[in-house]
Amino acid sequence: MGPDVVNHPLSRADGSTVLSNGLYTVIAGVNGPIEVQRRDELPEEAAIEVNVRPASGVGGICERWMETVLQSALKSIMLVHMFPRTLIQITMQITKEPSIKLRRSLYDFALMPTLFNAAITCLVDGGLPLATTSTAALAIISPDDQVVLDPQEKEIASCKSIHAMAFSANGDQILTQSSGDLNHEDWGKVADMLKQACIAAIGPAGEDTAMSNGVVQPEPWLRQHLEDEAKSAVRGKVKIEAQGRSREIRSSSAANSKDENQPDSAT
Amino acid sequence: MANDAETGPGLTFPQDTFAKLTPRPYLLAHLKHKTPVRPNGRQQNEFRQPTINTGSLTHSNGSAVVRVGDTAVVCGVRGEILLASDIPHPPSDDLEEQDLVEELGLVVPNLELSTGCSPAHIPGNPPTSLAQSLSYRISAVLHDSHCINPDDLRINYTEPKTEDDLPDEPPKEVTKAYWTLYIDILCLALDGNAFDAALLAVTAALRDTTLPKAWWDPDRESILCSPVVSDSRSLRLSTMPVASSFAVFSTASHLKKREEAQSWILADADGFEEELCDETLTVVLNSGPSTGSGTTSILKIEKTGGTYIGKDVTDLCVRQASKRTSDIKTALGNR
Repeated sequence: MGPDVVNHPLSRADGSTVLSNGLYTVIAGVNGPIEVQRRDELPEEAAIEVNVRPASGVGGICERWMETVLQSALKSIMLVHMFPRTLIQITMQITKEPSIKLRRSLYDFALMPTLFNAAITCLVDGGLPLATTSTAALAIISPDDQVVLDPQEKEIASCKSIHAMAFSANGDQILTQSSGDLNHEDWGKVADMLKQACIAAIGPAGEDTAMSNGVVQPEPWLRQHLEDEAKSAVRGKVKIEAQGRSREIRSSSAANSKDENQPDSAT
Repeated sequence: MANDAETGPGLTFPQDTFAKLTPRPYLLAHLKHKTPVRPNGRQQNEFRQPTINTGSLTHSNGSAVVRVGDTAVVCGVRGEILLASDIPHPPSDDLEEQDLVEELGLVVPNLELSTGCSPAHIPGNPPTSLAQSLSYRISAVLHDSHCINPDDLRINYTEPKTEDDLPDEPPKEVTKAYWTLYIDILCLALDGNAFDAALLAVTAALRDTTLPKAWWDPDRESILCSPVVSDSRSLRLSTMPVASSFAVFSTASHLKKREEAQSWILADADGFEEELCDETLTVVLNSGPSTGSGTTSILKIEKTGGTYIGKDVTDLCVRQASKRTSDIKTALGNR
């Protein structure tokens, strides 16, 4: 089960999405490329600014940390060299958080994949070029040493270790945040499972739900979302073009009628 | 000087000029050399050896000065008393004992970079996002490792028996106050890898911390502390978290093919290397306090930026980190 994504809820931002999964709802907006302050300007690439606003209150040190982590992760997959000396500003507001109280670090780690996915979808919505499709997922290791993908609130609260990772379509690891009491083998197991989950979310190109080893893969939610977005964009474009054409026809007919009455000023 | 005019100005630069003009090719040339060695003379997987001094600050309960290469960090721990009656929302009974330190905020680390420690950090400026995220990461390590035993921070009082009590009931012990530890970390000089140095300074300072004997005085209804040094007791860290950071220098670019990219892992990057590396990995290992091998578990693996570090590279780094951790433990234990 992938998260619910609503496209373009903000009319004034260049791109925006509302992404909600069982734990969090995040509204993300991107503006860019826009003018950059002299101090932040980079001569050969676009500067990326990430702002994270908590569900209540103003951001503190924890939000600053998330911003720096997301900023460097996004920088590695965005084609920043295409917009030198500009700024790409991503702002994310958390609007829903888990109903039970989680320990600070669990709360933050659980939030990380949601923020990452929200950022990616809103960048796509804003038409900003990315080097690769990528997605993030969350997993925990429960006290009885089971790996749980997309855990529920209660499972997170009692977990032994928590893992947030992001992978690109070709399996490169973009982001890793693991915390808790873990050992080498368990970490490798979690990394493999998250990699599979992320790649499954991106989905194979031009194939239906793939079966591997007889296990049904989770639905490729990101692929579906992006396809839907592309379809609606094309539909919108067709509509705009159609409107444009009818306007052209109208204006040309108006011009024709003008022609009949008086000589065209242009000629 | 006639000779100079004939040959023209030399087309060779001294090393420093090369490094300043084109830092990337300079580092690349070093790493591509037949016997690769980093510009700072270290091997790829070589960490800088820390120098640790403890107890330098007389007015704090515990302190440490750590120097790792040209990065110098001083850390002071100050204990203050938090009266239980001043806690607005007393912790619920179902709270796990080990989470008490975090719930009540009994450990408050703060890292200061605005000391003029490097040209990028101007003195007197508000904390940069780097300083804030370092503070956060240190507090997260302290809380997640549960290295501070909440019992060490309690100030208990055994209530005298009253007539209402049943005769064979044991005396009731109540926590009247807690010690709050303010951990102030000042970075005096920054030459890369602030996190490892800062965390090392914090652990060294906490190991050095002694808290005076404190008790509840029922007549005055306040906490009293003993001035006698021999009465004070030192904080016992139940585990010891040690961080090891790695940076990745890569020639990967979105303008090139993926296969053409070359990458190098640099352990404990200095300031010059850090500026050229986008990808970083920090491994925090948690181990028992003794110098012996003990059981070491992974507390944190944090990686961001870039795409080079996958599962295999992380495995390699974790192995290097465990070696590093035992080195650090020896350095701490030898004092």
